[in-house]
Amino acid sequence: MRSGIVVTVVGALLAVSLLVPPARAQNSLVVSVWGGNWKDTVEKVVGKAFTAKTGIPVEYEVGGTIDRLAKARVAKGNPLVDLNFTTTHVARLYISDGLYEKLDMAKLPNTKEIAREALRSDFHVGSWAYVYTIVYRPDLVKEDITKWADLWKPSLKGKIAMPDFDPSHIITIAALMEGGNEVNWQKGEGRLKQLKDSVAAFYSTDAQSQDLMKTGQGPVQVMLSVNAYHLQEQGVPVKVVQPTDFPGVVGIDTMAIMAGTKKAEAAHQFINLALSKEIQTELVKALRAGPVNLGATVPASLRGQPGIFVSAAEWTERGYIMNDEARAKNLPAWREWFTANIVKK
Amino acid sequence: MKLLLLPAAAVLAVFAAALASLFRWSLLEFIPGSLQAGSLTLANFRAVLAAQYLGAIRDTVVLSALTTVLTLLGAYPVAYVLARTPSRRVRSALLVLTLAPFFTGAIVRTYAWVLVLGNTVVTWPVPMLFTERGVLVGLVHFSMPTMILILAAAISHIDPVYERAAASLGASPARVFRRVTLPLSLPGIVSGALIVFAWTLSAFPTPELLGGGKVKMIANVVKDLGLDSFNWPGAAAFAMLALALTLALLTAVGRVAAGRTP
Repeated sequence: MRSGIVVTVVGALLAVSLLVPPARAQNSLVVSVWGGNWKDTVEKVVGKAFTAKTGIPVEYEVGGTIDRLAKARVAKGNPLVDLNFTTTHVARLYISDGLYEKLDMAKLPNTKEIAREALRSDFHVGSWAYVYTIVYRPDLVKEDITKWADLWKPSLKGKIAMPDFDPSHIITIAALMEGGNEVNWQKGEGRLKQLKDSVAAFYSTDAQSQDLMKTGQGPVQVMLSVNAYHLQEQGVPVKVVQPTDFPGVVGIDTMAIMAGTKKAEAAHQFINLALSKEIQTELVKALRAGPVNLGATVPASLRGQPGIFVSAAEWTERGYIMNDEARAKNLPAWREWFTANIVKK
Repeated sequence: MKLLLLPAAAVLAVFAAALASLFRWSLLEFIPGSLQAGSLTLANFRAVLAAQYLGAIRDTVVLSALTTVLTLLGAYPVAYVLARTPSRRVRSALLVLTLAPFFTGAIVRTYAWVLVLGNTVVTWPVPMLFTERGVLVGLVHFSMPTMILILAAAISHIDPVYERAAASLGASPARVFRRVTLPLSLPGIVSGALIVFAWTLSAFPTPELLGGGKVKMIANVVKDLGLDSFNWPGAAAFAMLALALTLALLTAVGRVAAGRTP
């Protein structure tokens, strides 16, 4: 009987310990970021340098884009984290819900060195960039792919994979090809429908995308450039295309300070440090993403590669940047249309 | 005695509160590009009654029914041998093979199927990966161990004396099985079928990975609406609709089954 009670009490304590979030050191800065390589890189490149410079320890809250958004919403006004990394259009959702604090640009002098496109709003600022572009396996696809229009070639039927969680990129490209853009995206509907039979699979995560490429189940993909470079590092023979007809669609990951945080000062310092030339140079090497600081040093092997922009001109010429607000507002409609017309059997 | 029910009541209360919150969300207006929900509306329920969402419900019910039937057909012979074999070695081997998948986890198992169904190990005459056929294979494999264990437990409770008596009265082995073993194992069949049907209705990783985005079951659609479109009211409405349908189906199947069991 007594052992039963002990087991019950221990079980209850264990359950409670799992439910209660871990205690944070009082003086530490808590950063919310994606897991895996993203967190490791932020910790290694930015976090350690920040602690060395300020003496403030950094702790990390990791999770998916939407998990972290949901948590932030629940903790509105009394945030569990001080600083948040997320994609620029999802940041719009944080802003719309009053979850971000307005940035004090006077405390972010390094923003003067960053590309104009990386200053996304008064609330969030870019940390690095990449593109969604065409990536393919030349060992499995015998003809060269050089432009977006090549995706519509009959020879690629059943070979293409693309994201279904966010079809923004291909919808925007199809619209651009038909003289539209992400606002009047309907112009590309007809063209997109012609692509339906070419799609072998849709992926929901970056990991799935990379698996499809590795196994050859989706040897031609609309893919994140960062993931493509990661595959190259692993020895997967993929070619990252710099499309000649329309540029790749730029993605910008951003940093912002949570509204209600008591560490706003430290968070500003963290952001400013992350935007510095030195840290941006290290981030480029670690992530193979484009720097937002135009003074960052980019290795010769990465210069000119898709998603790596080293000058103000390259930001505008070599990538297409969607309007964040239009993207955030249109995404539900895009997904509904895409599911009904492209994904559905 | 009543005090012992307190933990269960507390858990029920938490679930009830979560469901109430979900229901409330399903009645709030979705504002694209914003996390703020608008005023009360039934528009979410009208929206999720569109063909593409109803198609996902239909596909889910069909796949769940097929999974249940195929799992039952595949599991029964194994369960029978497991329960009846006099050889300890055979029983141990079967038990290990049955339990092994439990130790690998759903994701690992499903990724293994991605390789097998994707023409990398076997060349299939018809496309398997990213089709409903492939998803069905994954669901049946996922459900098989549980069904085997439930059926084996049910069959092992049937006294072999009944089967021997039928055989001694001249019944062929097929007739003994049809008239004695099968009816007496019906409680196990009903339990196993209900469990497999219920959890297949809420399957997520198998259709997500083996369906390649082309096969959508209820859980995948809820995730798509909530996590990809940020349409939390829509996701809540679809989840409520699916929940009501699942409860209705399980009640109906349970009633039919209850009428058939000895």
